[in-house]
Amino acid sequence: MQYALLIYQAEEVMENWSEADLKEALTRHRSLQEKTKANNTFLLANELTPSGTATTVKRRAGKTTILDGPFAETKEHLVGLYVFDCKNLDEAIEYAQGIPNVDTGSIEIRPIAHYESLPAG
Amino acid sequence: MDELAVSLKTAYPRALATLIRLLSDIDAAEDILREAIARALEVWSREGVPGNPVAWLVTTGRNKAIDLQRRYTLEVRHSTTVRAEAGNNVTGESVTARPVAEAEASQHFDDDLLRLIFTCCHPALAQEVQVALTLKTIAGLTGPEIARAFLVPPKTIEQRITCAKRKIRDARIPYEVPTAAQVSERLDAVLAVTYLLFNEGYNASGSPELILTDLCIEAIRLARMLSRLFRAEPEVTGLLALLLLQRSRSGARLDTAGHIIPLDEQKRALGS
Repeated sequence: MQYALLIYQAEEVMENWSEADLKEALTRHRSLQEKTKANNTFLLANELTPSGTATTVKRRAGKTTILDGPFAETKEHLVGLYVFDCKNLDEAIEYAQGIPNVDTGSIEIRPIAHYESLPAG
Repeated sequence: MDELAVSLKTAYPRALATLIRLLSDIDAAEDILREAIARALEVWSREGVPGNPVAWLVTTGRNKAIDLQRRYTLEVRHSTTVRAEAGNNVTGESVTARPVAEAEASQHFDDDLLRLIFTCCHPALAQEVQVALTLKTIAGLTGPEIARAFLVPPKTIEQRITCAKRKIRDARIPYEVPTAAQVSERLDAVLAVTYLLFNEGYNASGSPELILTDLCIEAIRLARMLSRLFRAEPEVTGLLALLLLQRSRSGARLDTAGHIIPLDEQKRALGS
């Protein structure tokens, strides 16, 4: 089953990272990716640019509104995500603990919905 | 309770735990077990309770599952293979039903019971959900009985259990005994559930009898099993000791009419 591991983090924490912090984080990301590529569970890893670059679009009653900023004004933002193909939730929980942000932010694990075939439409 | 009812109550959690492993689905296992129990009531009252009630229920349930499988699929790959429907598969593994030999049965049943307990107490489920689910599956309590123990409406309990089963299935919470590393974060919930299970037997809410000896025995059996597995954990030993101490007074707690006797009037000689 595919799981999305969504990384939530207060952005100022990452902005204030030292060179050494950044280097350590990258090492841990690399180690997680090497491990999961080796056992064929790795599907995707992406870091998102800061929420200051976000644009939110919605349409209500035919009127489109385009807004500056992320969907929710919260302290912690979605800063990146991984997708793994795991045999069960415990394996996903194990990988979540390999993501450096687990120490300062939170990792939300969400199974990716799967349909045998999409409804015709 | 007569012998037949006691045997069924005692066999229920182990039979359910094994059927869940064989069928990879809690709801399917509960449905199948309900049918097997209906059959047991018929056969056992005629021929007596079999030597190994759990094995009897599992074998009957497994055969019913194979019948259902035959009815719903045109092609059965192998006559003894029960494949769970893709969407209902808890572990994601295909499942092979094996004949349940009496000799091998009891160890498997213990392992399955442990799998069931730790799945129900998985940290990805909220603690009140863990407890409700465990009382439903392990203790075989009904929604209203659990609701009374928690002082919430029965509907709330049913919703908690339904949500829990959906999460177990959709997020694929594994049906496995946890690794040593996972034990520390999960054992507390298992102990809390064991304690509540004993409590329900010690001071029964959903039964005309005040003490349900079976539930107490089941809770103590669980505590013993946990203490065998987690010898180094003082909390487990402590809980087992507490349950045994309370259980030892059970012969002295009620008078012949079934009313409670206050502690200072209980006859110590009736302790066991």
